[in-house]
Amino acid sequence: MVLLIQDEYPEKLWRDDGKRLDGREPYDLRPIKMEVDVIKNADGSAYIEWGNNKIFASVYGPREVHPHHLAKPDRGILRVFYRMATFSVFDRKRPAPGRREKEISMVIGDCLEPVLFLELYPGTSFEIFIEVVDADGGTRCASTTVAALALADAGVPMRSLVTSCAVGKIDGKLVTDLSGVEDKAGEADLPVSITWFNDELSLLQFDGQISQPELEECLDMAKDALDKVYNLQLDALKRKYIKIQEEAEEMGGATD
Amino acid sequence: MENDDESETDDEFEDEETSREIVAPGEILSEDLDTYNPGRGTILNKKRDKIISVLVGLKQIKNQYINVIPLNGFYTAHPGDKVIAIVVDKNPVKYRCDINAKYQGILKPKNTIKYNKKRRRGKYHEKPDTEKYEIGNVLVAKIISADRLNSPELTTVGKYLGKKTDGIIIQIDPPKVPRVIGRSGSMIKMLKKATNCNIFVTQNGRIWIKGQDIENERLAIEAIYKIEAQAHTTGLTDRMEEFIKNEKEKRGIN
Repeated sequence: MVLLIQDEYPEKLWRDDGKRLDGREPYDLRPIKMEVDVIKNADGSAYIEWGNNKIFASVYGPREVHPHHLAKPDRGILRVFYRMATFSVFDRKRPAPGRREKEISMVIGDCLEPVLFLELYPGTSFEIFIEVVDADGGTRCASTTVAALALADAGVPMRSLVTSCAVGKIDGKLVTDLSGVEDKAGEADLPVSITWFNDELSLLQFDGQISQPELEECLDMAKDALDKVYNLQLDALKRKYIKIQEEAEEMGGATD
Repeated sequence: MENDDESETDDEFEDEETSREIVAPGEILSEDLDTYNPGRGTILNKKRDKIISVLVGLKQIKNQYINVIPLNGFYTAHPGDKVIAIVVDKNPVKYRCDINAKYQGILKPKNTIKYNKKRRRGKYHEKPDTEKYEIGNVLVAKIISADRLNSPELTTVGKYLGKKTDGIIIQIDPPKVPRVIGRSGSMIKMLKKATNCNIFVTQNGRIWIKGQDIENERLAIEAIYKIEAQAHTTGLTDRMEEFIKNEKEKRGIN
């Protein structure tokens, strides 16, 4: 039996009651859940559920570079491997790394490099492996966010965390955090990343059409959304330790 | 076996100045630069008016310095550290050892020579005695030189150093090694006494354990993993003593 589902986008991206197709207000984020230390054998790891996106990230390093000719004598290198599982999208994705995956790997690497002290680790490499298990729009943003968490969990010195979120325009209205359908059928998509130690943008990609005043409004919207995601990141990093502290306090109270 | 270094180690986790506040990379620790200076695990921001953390750790204020005690991380080799090394490669010139650091440790035969001062066959000359190692051997070694560019150099000549042929080796997070030792060795002394085991803690996070029987060894291993997980809590030594006592009763070992 052949399963045929037409690859069509809905005509309208807004519901009659003024909300988006998944019931969100224009400036709402999808529900986000983050967790650190999920892969035991990695030096550091993290997991994120951002709407329907499910992404794992693991960090190894500093360790010796293979192949050895990639090593830099004066500084370390950061290598990012962004991969999508074959079952992560509707049509089966071919498992070999394609053009899109190489580009996103490069983009995430460039985005995270400014926060690391690579000059302290000459001749070594940090490796980030990002595995997208389920994809539904905005995976590069979610991947950047989760990769920063995994780096912090590995104990790699960082100037700050990196947070990322997309803003865009669908059917003439500006919105935050586009889902898969909105991304494909909408007018513009603008992934934004920020490094918090200098409040500078580390990633700004853009495709579609948008006017200049709208772009500035988009960036303001992105700042608000990034603040929200950043707080969730901090909470995810500290939760693991605070939970143990609370348990220990309870035990200590019982024995006294 | 006693490790002399243990009594000298400062347990920063247990310090009174160490708060229980957990900080993340990029978080502002202080904006008061007249009173405080940036210490270990911190940097100044670009405008040089704030002290920010670079690690996930516990905030500590000590002698006007703000430090961050890391809760996770990797081992960086320092001269004088004792480490447990595993021989991974061997050639006529040197051994290469895995020391759980970013570079492999290098052990040259000249650093394995032990001079025998006894007379041999009636002659008075001192004949050098070189220990030979095979791939896979476990060594307790000392780092004699290390920097951030070159591979660290090891030696197996010295007190407590050399090949290990028995016991169990476990691995913990290197930043939590001071906690397993405790302030002036209090935790490790308690562990040794309570479980009747020989325990040798090295700076790269590898711990050698040898007990009278397997039950005691297993208890010691569980206790060490528990210390690692709860390193950032207060009153850990007392709680571990209680834990070992209860477990001993439960398992029926003495």
